[in-house]
This record gives sequence, structure tokens and C-alpha cells, in this order.
Amino acid sequence: MTKLVQTLILGVLVGGVYALLASGLTVIFGVMRIINIAHGALMIMGAFITYTLWHYLGLDPLLGVVVTVIVMFGVGWVVYFVTVRPVRRAPVTSSVLLTFGLAFFLEGVMGFIWGNSARGSRPGYVETSFNLGSLYIPKGLFFGCLLAVVIMVALQLVISKTWLGRSIRASASSEDAARLVGVNIPMVAAITFALGAASAGAGGAMISIMSTFVAGSQILWITRLLSIVVLGGLGSVPGAVVAALILGVGESLVGTYVSPLWSPALSIILIFVILVVRPQGLLGTKLREDVAQ
Amino acid sequence: MKRKPILLAFVLVLVLALAMLAVACGGETTTSTGAVTTAAPGSSATAAPSTETTGTTVAAKPLRIGTSLPLTGSRSVPGEFEKQGYEVWADLINAKGGLLGRPVELVIKDDASDQDIIVADYNALISQDKVDLLLGTFSSLLVLPSSAVAEKNNMLYITPAGLSPKIYERGFTKVFCSQQALAPDAGKVWANYIAGLPADQRPKTAAYPTLDDPFVSPVIDGIRTILEAAGVKTVYTTTYPEGTTDFDSIVNAMVAAKPDLVAQGALFDDGIAVIRGFLKAGFKPAWLYQTTAPGQGKQYSDGAGIENTEGIFYHVSYAEPAKTPGNAEFVKRYHEMFGPDPIAEDVADAYAAGEVLAAAVTAVGSLDQTKLADYLHTNGVQTILGVLSWDAKGIPTGEMMIGQWQAGVVQVVLPAEAATTTNIIQGWKPGTK
Repeated sequence: MTKLVQTLILGVLVGGVYALLASGLTVIFGVMRIINIAHGALMIMGAFITYTLWHYLGLDPLLGVVVTVIVMFGVGWVVYFVTVRPVRRAPVTSSVLLTFGLAFFLEGVMGFIWGNSARGSRPGYVETSFNLGSLYIPKGLFFGCLLAVVIMVALQLVISKTWLGRSIRASASSEDAARLVGVNIPMVAAITFALGAASAGAGGAMISIMSTFVAGSQILWITRLLSIVVLGGLGSVPGAVVAALILGVGESLVGTYVSPLWSPALSIILIFVILVVRPQGLLGTKLREDVAQ
Repeated sequence: MKRKPILLAFVLVLVLALAMLAVACGGETTTSTGAVTTAAPGSSATAAPSTETTGTTVAAKPLRIGTSLPLTGSRSVPGEFEKQGYEVWADLINAKGGLLGRPVELVIKDDASDQDIIVADYNALISQDKVDLLLGTFSSLLVLPSSAVAEKNNMLYITPAGLSPKIYERGFTKVFCSQQALAPDAGKVWANYIAGLPADQRPKTAAYPTLDDPFVSPVIDGIRTILEAAGVKTVYTTTYPEGTTDFDSIVNAMVAAKPDLVAQGALFDDGIAVIRGFLKAGFKPAWLYQTTAPGQGKQYSDGAGIENTEGIFYHVSYAEPAKTPGNAEFVKRYHEMFGPDPIAEDVADAYAAGEVLAAAVTAVGSLDQTKLADYLHTNGVQTILGVLSWDAKGIPTGEMMIGQWQAGVVQVVLPAEAATTTNIIQGWKPGTK
């Protein structure tokens, strides 16, 4: 019983971090209809920045995430205007191709700046746990999950309660209509992409304390994140949260009771199932194709 | 109007793809070597046809040696170490006049830890770059396909890694490994040590988590066979895929099984992750053995925490304090070129591969690939790792050493005749300052 409860605890904590990693990806698609394959690379860039702040300035990664988020917002802004904006109105396949190439370009840039040595932030709490009897809650994962919740709540508040958020939702619903009521579509698109990059950076800060990483680690995450986004419903942050928890707990149970060899397959299996049973995802919105733009 | 964004997208993709190829995947490094001072008449240096023999400095045609290494991707850490080893070797051998009187020039490609790319790279090295000789790469996963390219093109292939038995079961005649033993025997000395402990000190139970990899899996299988025969009960085994990022579930399962000993088939980040996982769970198996990962020097101790490495065992082919011929010179030059950090095992293995290649070329006196291979099949070579020798299949016939992290440095503890210390820490002691 202890083993099962421990498995569930670990799964929920990891799922919380997954939710943060995937939230930016789903927001970008929801507003811009762009599947950002470079999201994993942006996460790893955030991990490198967080590591650099920790290693050279002694700034705790969970505090350094504030700086990382700001820097990654700027990176996202530049990336959007240089590469993404020209293909924003192109078919989805074009943006997939573009961001795929962008992912490897960013990987090369990171390798050039930071080299290919493995990095990892090791603040004192990362290898200790809270103990509840025979159960343990890793402190690094717990704080990371807590921070992920805070950031996602903030993101959701921005989207639901602010004028910017209303503009983002209006743009996602109908760009032409949003433009008619005075929404600056290009600016909203840029801010959305930058917000997505910023949340990727925050996720990267979590990664920097969860494991070691190199520039090439970006490829390890994108499949999992895409499955979360598809499972939860493209464009739905609450959906991404639910899907992330399902995947986190599922991977933990499969890894413990079946085999770790099957854990990566779980995300693919979930994609297959959800596309057959409920293509719009758990909390996604089904659109009529004949009126969709 | 609709075509313009699509066209722009493809242009952007093409630009980015070219940048990707240039920066991330196809990077080629050439180490130029400069002129070679020829030998004065009567000296013992090897003369080459393209140089004068009057003692004047002339520019001899470089001897180009090609390799593709995982300088990016999942195996970039050891890949970079191997590059360093080759560069030190090229530097030292050129200082002594090169090979066959010609300066050695390394042609290094980056295979991004990808099997498809490495096949393309070695084909390019042979057919387009037209290198004179080849050197191998890191990891059995990459050696398997690349050695096949070399064999198909009738070229000698000496690899610093590639200890999977699968590599040598294909009937190839020109593939050699510059380490002492293959994977199934890599941990044998340590397993026999554990099996030979008095019954009250010997661990009763063991767990064997391993990466799904053609090298590390056989190492763990070899250890498990010996320990099970000695009565050490297996309480947990698992294989995890490459790219696994969350090891907490694996650690959780081991915590529940409570093994006295854990032997993990670990490449690098997985080894660190399991150590962290144990610490988070507050579980410390009495004995901890890991393949490969502990051999990554400072990167390993930085990742795991140097205080947590105390007592960890691993098989090792090289020890920096070793008194083998040429080692002092190698150590000195390495630190001059790459700084004061301890020398990772993969650096030395690559250097030894260069030594083996040089020995064969010098002895044969030509670049005839078949004669070079025949020489190695019938002769041992003195290297910084000791004397290396091979059987008819190219399988090394020596014995791997066992290293242990002690007080933040690696010591060779077994076998006794190769040991750099008589002290063997009895088990894993994390948190030791």
C-alpha cells in the first residue's frame, strides 16, 4: 500500500510540473493555431539560464525563475518577430516545419553558448524530502510543483481577468471580429508567443533542478508535451493541467508496476485513444469546420 | 496572396535547416598539424618518401584520420572526452614526427548521437574526404553501424568504445576495441570480489536497473550471473529506455524491494538521477555499482554531488596515477591543453585507440588496411591502459579494472596488481565530506 501511495504522490508532483511545461504550448496553439515544436528547446534554454544564475550568482532556481521568465519573454518576442510572424497565417504544416527547424537551431545556439557538458542545478533541498511516516515527498519536486501551480494560476488569471486576456481570447475566437473591436492582433500574437516562451522558461527552471540536461535534451520533452496538449484539448489550459496529471500519474504507475520501457508509450497510447474517442481533447472545444477560419 | 506566406515559410525552413546542419549536426573539425621536421641522417625517426632527409623542415602531406563522434545529443559528454583524447594523441605524435613521417590531421564529424548520421558521416569520410585511416566513436549503439561501414570499405576500425559482444559476432576482421575486455566481463572482477566476501559481509539481495543499451545491459547481466551463483538473491530488475527523465518510480520500486546491493547499467544522467532518487527517498543501498557514469569525472561528481560519490564502484579501463608507459606524458599534455580537471576514462580510451593505430602503422610501415589488421590480430600493443591484445574476432583478451570513488577522486582498487590504493571502501557512503 505504501508503494502505491508513494507512486501516486510522485505521479501527481511530476504531473504538476508537466502541466506548467505544457501550458505555454497550448496557449500558443489556442490563440495562434501554431504548434510550436521549438517549445522543448525554449524550455531547455530556460533551464540553462536558471542554471547559470544559480552557478555564478548563487541564485536559487526557484527564485531565479523570475529572471528566467523575463529573459525568456524577451527571447520569445524576438523569435516571434524574426521567424514565426511571417508564417502566422500559413497552413499549420508550415509552422510545424518552421518550428521544427527552429528547435534544432536553438539547440545549436545553446550548444555554442554553454557547450555540451551536462548541467544541473543542485540547491541544498534538491536531494532531501519531507517525510510523512514511511512516505517521502521530494522537496525539489514539491516546491517546483507549487511554483508551477502559482504560475499557471497567474496565467489563467491573466487570460480570464485582464484586458490582455480578453484580447487573447477574442483573437483565438475570431481575429476579424477582434480587430473590429480594436484589438491589435499582431501585438496580441506577439505577446501570446512571448508568454508561451516565458512559461516554457519557467518549466525549464523546474527541469534544471529535476535532472541534468544538455542542449540536446529538448528532443526528450516535446513528444510528451504534445501528447498532453492533444489529450487536454488544444488551447485549453485547464485541459492541459488535467492531461498532465493523468500522464504524470500514469507514467509513475506504469513505471513502477509494469516496466519503465512502457512509460514513453503511454503518451502515444493516450493520443491514439483520445483522437478516436474525443478528438477535441478532454476539455477542448469542438468547432464546426464549415465556420472555422 | 496565400502562396506568399507558404513560400516564405519554406525559405525560412531552408535557412534554418542549413543553419541546423552547420551548427548542430554536421560540424567538422579539422586539426591542422603544420610542418614536420624531418630526421637528420642516422637518427631513429621514421623517414617518409615525401620529405627530404637533410634535416630541413618541409611540409609533408598530412596523414588524414577520420572519425565521427557524438559531440551533441545524448552522448555528447563522453563524445567530447573522446575528442579531447584524440587531440592530445595527435598533438603528441606530431611532436615526435607524425606517422610514417607525415603529420597527423584529424577530421572529426559530429554524429549528434544518431545512428543514421554516423553511417552517413563515415561514408563521407571514406568516399568524399578520402581519409587515410579511421578511428572509432563512443558507445556500442554508434559503433555497431559505423564499424559496418568501415568493414564494408575494407578499412581498419579501432574504437575506444564498443564493448557490446554483438559488435564482434559479425565475422568482421578489421574491428578492434582499445579497452581491456568486453561488456559481459567488464564487471567480472568486482562481482567476483563481492561474491568472495565472507558470508556475513556479503550482500544478501540485489537490484539491477539498467538502460536499454547494447553495452551497459550485458555488463549488468554479467554481474548478475556471478552474484546469483554466489547466492545473492535478485529482488528487482528493470530496463528503462533512453530518454527516461523521471527515475523516481524506478527508485520507488527499489526502495520497496530493499536491496543490499544495486548494480545499475548507467550511461551518465541516468546514473546521477538514480543517486539523487535514492537520496530523496532516504534509501542507501549498502553497495552501489554503476557502469560508465562514474567514469565521467568532474561532470559526474558535480551532478551527483562529490560527497555522494564516496564508495561507488565501476569498471574502469584507466587510472590517472597509473605507471604505464607514456601515461605521465599523456597526463601532462592533457592538463596543459584542457585544464586541471581529472582525466575522464573516455579521454584515455581514445588516446589508447590512437596509440594502437600508431603502433600498427609504424610496425607495418604502410597504410595497407589488411596488413594493419593482421598485425593487431597477432601482436599486443603497449598503451597507457596497459598492454592490449585481441583474438581473431578483435575481442580484447585482457581484464577490466575496477575503480572506486574515494575522497572525491577515482582510485583503482582491483585487481590488486593494478590498484592505485590498497584501501577498498566497504560500500556506498553518500554524504561523506
